[in-house]
Amino acid sequence: MRELTPWLALIFQRPWRLMLGGVLILATLASGIGLLALSGWFITDTAIVGILLAAGTQVAVNLYVPGGGIRFFAVSRTVARYLERVYNHDTVLRLLTDIRVALFRKLAGANRAGQSKLSGAQWLSRLTSDVDALDTIYLRVIAPAALAGVITLLVALLAWVLFSGAVALGLLAITALAFVLATVAVYVRTREPSYRQADRQEELRTAVVEHIEGFAELRAAGRTGRHGAWLLRQAHQMNSEQVEVDSKVGWYQAISHLLINLCAVFALWAGYSLFETGAISGPVLVLLPIAILGLAEVYSMLPDAFGKLGSTVSSAARLNRDAMPVDEEGKAEIPEPGDDLALVARDIAVRHEGFAPVLTHFDLTLARGERIGILGRSGSGKSSLADTLAGLLPPSRGELARQPCAYLTQQTVLFDDTLRANLVLGNPAATDAELWRVLELVELGDRFAREPDQLDTWLGNTGSRLSGGEARRVALARVLLNPAPLVILDEPFTGLDADTRSRISKRLERWLEGKSVVSLAHGPEALPATDRVFHLE
Amino acid sequence: MTAPEQRNVRRWLTELAAGNRRWVQGAVLTGTLAGIATIVQMVLLARIVHLGVIEGVAVSQLTNLFIPLVITLVIRALFQGLQTRLAAQCSKRVRRTARRQIHRHWQAAGPVAMGQESAGALAREWIDHVEALHGYYARFMPQMQLSVIVPLLILVLVFWLDWLAAVFLLLSAPLIPLFMALVGMGAEKLNQQHFETISRLSGQFLDKVRGLTTLQLFGQTESAADLLARRSDRYRVVTMKTLKIAFLSSAVLEFFASVAIAVIAIYIGFGLLGYITFGPADELTLFTGLLILLLAPEFFQPLRTLSQYYHDRAAALGAGTEILARLQDYGTGAPEVTSQPPGDEIAGPADLITLDQVNYTHPGGTTPWFCDLNLQIEKGHAVALTGPSGGGKSTLLYLLAGFLAPDSGEIRVFGQAPGKTGFGWLGQKGFLVHGTWADNLRLTSPDASDIAIDAALRRVGLGDLVDGREEGIYSAVSDQGRGLSGGQARRLSLARIFLADYDLILLDEPTAGLDSASEIFILESLRKLSEAGKTLVFSTHHHALLTLADRVLTVDNGEVANA
Repeated sequence: MRELTPWLALIFQRPWRLMLGGVLILATLASGIGLLALSGWFITDTAIVGILLAAGTQVAVNLYVPGGGIRFFAVSRTVARYLERVYNHDTVLRLLTDIRVALFRKLAGANRAGQSKLSGAQWLSRLTSDVDALDTIYLRVIAPAALAGVITLLVALLAWVLFSGAVALGLLAITALAFVLATVAVYVRTREPSYRQADRQEELRTAVVEHIEGFAELRAAGRTGRHGAWLLRQAHQMNSEQVEVDSKVGWYQAISHLLINLCAVFALWAGYSLFETGAISGPVLVLLPIAILGLAEVYSMLPDAFGKLGSTVSSAARLNRDAMPVDEEGKAEIPEPGDDLALVARDIAVRHEGFAPVLTHFDLTLARGERIGILGRSGSGKSSLADTLAGLLPPSRGELARQPCAYLTQQTVLFDDTLRANLVLGNPAATDAELWRVLELVELGDRFAREPDQLDTWLGNTGSRLSGGEARRVALARVLLNPAPLVILDEPFTGLDADTRSRISKRLERWLEGKSVVSLAHGPEALPATDRVFHLE
Repeated sequence: MTAPEQRNVRRWLTELAAGNRRWVQGAVLTGTLAGIATIVQMVLLARIVHLGVIEGVAVSQLTNLFIPLVITLVIRALFQGLQTRLAAQCSKRVRRTARRQIHRHWQAAGPVAMGQESAGALAREWIDHVEALHGYYARFMPQMQLSVIVPLLILVLVFWLDWLAAVFLLLSAPLIPLFMALVGMGAEKLNQQHFETISRLSGQFLDKVRGLTTLQLFGQTESAADLLARRSDRYRVVTMKTLKIAFLSSAVLEFFASVAIAVIAIYIGFGLLGYITFGPADELTLFTGLLILLLAPEFFQPLRTLSQYYHDRAAALGAGTEILARLQDYGTGAPEVTSQPPGDEIAGPADLITLDQVNYTHPGGTTPWFCDLNLQIEKGHAVALTGPSGGGKSTLLYLLAGFLAPDSGEIRVFGQAPGKTGFGWLGQKGFLVHGTWADNLRLTSPDASDIAIDAALRRVGLGDLVDGREEGIYSAVSDQGRGLSGGQARRLSLARIFLADYDLILLDEPTAGLDSASEIFILESLRKLSEAGKTLVFSTHHHALLTLADRVLTVDNGEVANA
């Protein structure tokens, strides 16, 4: 449960909003209970008075107060329900934003080992479903549980005022048992399978992906049927466990409902003794049991929510793990080199955690204003070296000092946003004129001048689709806008034809005048102008 | 989703349940019995109140009603619990049926068609989309029937008690179907809108997370977080506008339910006072009056529950549409190996691979790729296929493997239909499963001995790797996140072929893109296999491989010729 603490703290940042939402739910529940209880009181009262009237006795009967009350509750229940739904849905959407923004900030400060997974589609989809699980925790778990408590206390208070303290205590004892069974007991009994569910599903997913990737080999060996049957059994086993959880939740739901009903029977039975001594009237005797029956509505929401709590906790645990803050050594700032130097690397080793080093004993000294090229075939550790020089991947040994740098990664990353927003990431202070100038440089000026929205053209999945080469050039333009004195370019011209490449390369020479440049590529033709070139073994 | 599409999906969902009808019926039956128990509970409650308050019966004499009341409550709880259990069982069985269907479809589609899809997407359909059907069978489907049966039962009883009160119930719920439509429309819109917002928000969020490194490089994470917050907030404002209207329809249901209860309470009260001089009101007693009041909320409860389950229906329809689209996407597949017509084994000589007048057209193509192709390969030969990429080398291998079926003509592998008996296949990507070395090799040869496994791994040069691990062949292949390189994975696949001792081995570019160590091991292994009398057919450009071949064929533009 401790895993939930940071997220609960986040949710409770809006105490007043949660409170008001809770009050609206309470008003809905109280109106429903009030409507039935008052109606029961009214019918019993009129039945008694009706008999007296029929017998010829003169009795004064006030129809306006109960009649008005019944109508009031009928309307207030509807209005409160509508307001409650609108208001609380708004709350959920706000919490959704809070959680996502907070998680994003945490991920931004998380350690590097966690981030190397960031690109995995599987990781991203798991992240989404984990965040979704947290979004609903207020409306599914916190609010109903709190309100079940509050409304039970209110009904007990009613029992104390109308009946007696003993009845109120008996009522509290039975409902408390129902409450514990519907919440804590469900959680404890389903915690483990519920907690495991997501992991089991991921294991199964890995196995299914393997089955599909090895489909040809398995088919050749005549084993697809058997391996498939094995997968089916795994899936069935996972579902069987889930059915067990569902059934347990169902039984706890039935038992807590039974206890509420028994509590109403208890109130009726206890009320009769009071009725026989004349302590309470007939209509009051009817009112309390009906009010207790109304509790079932809020209690029925609890078991299902608490049955899923185990998986919510495991979601929170995974998110906490992903968002683990950077440890001190990972945080170390890269020092600046001495005067006249742009970058100094001494005896550097590049190594991904858990893998053999990609590169060892690497030395490089770059003077300010110097431009060097590094060539290496794919798989030679070129991009890992670029990551290390840029500070994304700390060297496993050796010393690195460099000026602040702008880095074009091998992978083109554009955001689902406008062209302008994508470009100004490189330099938030850039003017429109500067943006157009750099777009001209990468030969995209005409392309976007023709678009109706010009700089505000939407890029990405939902916007105008760029070709691979165009996307690459936008990413390059973004790096060129950055004022950093050192520029690291990893395969800057991917997806560009030779002519475009040489034209851009020429203009690049002028644009980068005075800056220090490290370019990396698979072959000399893919490099911009350089002072010297060396090869990676 | 278009209307006929939705109809198809609904029909498929119903058909899925057909084999598990007993479970659905069981869930509905127990739900109905729980409903009847509820009615009995209310009858007993009203009876106790009437006897005690009006007739003045002492509480000690009401025990004969209190005890049945408690028993009824227990029975009601029992049926409630059973209903959940049966419905969950039904959903479990349906999901298994759905997974079997998809799996059979994969089998029929064959490796070539499967290779064109992303493994992640196929796995998502098989796991997540099928899971999305759960709520539909476990909750929505039984509740759909219960929301008709239980209110009708209550209506009949109320009608018998006081027909005018029954008319009020009927009027307030202007017939159940209309109500259901109202609930459905509102809930559907609500769901759609909600899911849209969530997925947009998730999209924005994931987009930023995906590009987090880039944002960090430019020091822009803080401004991206602000942007995320602002965008989310704008979505919220827009969504809430629609939701305010969508929630109205559920408010209408709530309003009718509340008003009906209020009207009935006031009608019964006035009737009991004798103020209503027409209709059945003068026959009302506290028993009938209170019973009608207690039953009124139970009349509406099943409908309210159904409206809560509507999102299960939406989820199942969404997932069902995608699964169905996949299942209907036949046509490119090869025939299933097991569904070969009988008597196929007799034709063809047992020491030859023969292609006789084979025609093959690519799916979607208009003219045949291979036209009346005739080819014979002798048993024990090593045959290399060369030619430009896209020339048809892979297609020919697929035909020999039985992954693709010819339009016409006959292919016989040692007298049998292709794929009839096991053979070795080595694609460009090696294949390994999460597990030990032994698991990986026993995948295709379940009965292999430890010694044989060890020997096979040594033959492909993976012996050193296994020796380095503490538990030998029973240690995990990928240890501490260290996976195998592409070349090592391909050698692992080759070890399977050694182990299984197949007569025929088909290899698609076995040395393409390999590091030199792996290349040497694979060449050496193929030479050994060839010397052992195995029939090898491989596509390649690699010079060393070509020298290994007894015969080299050029495959270009559907023509196959001796080089």
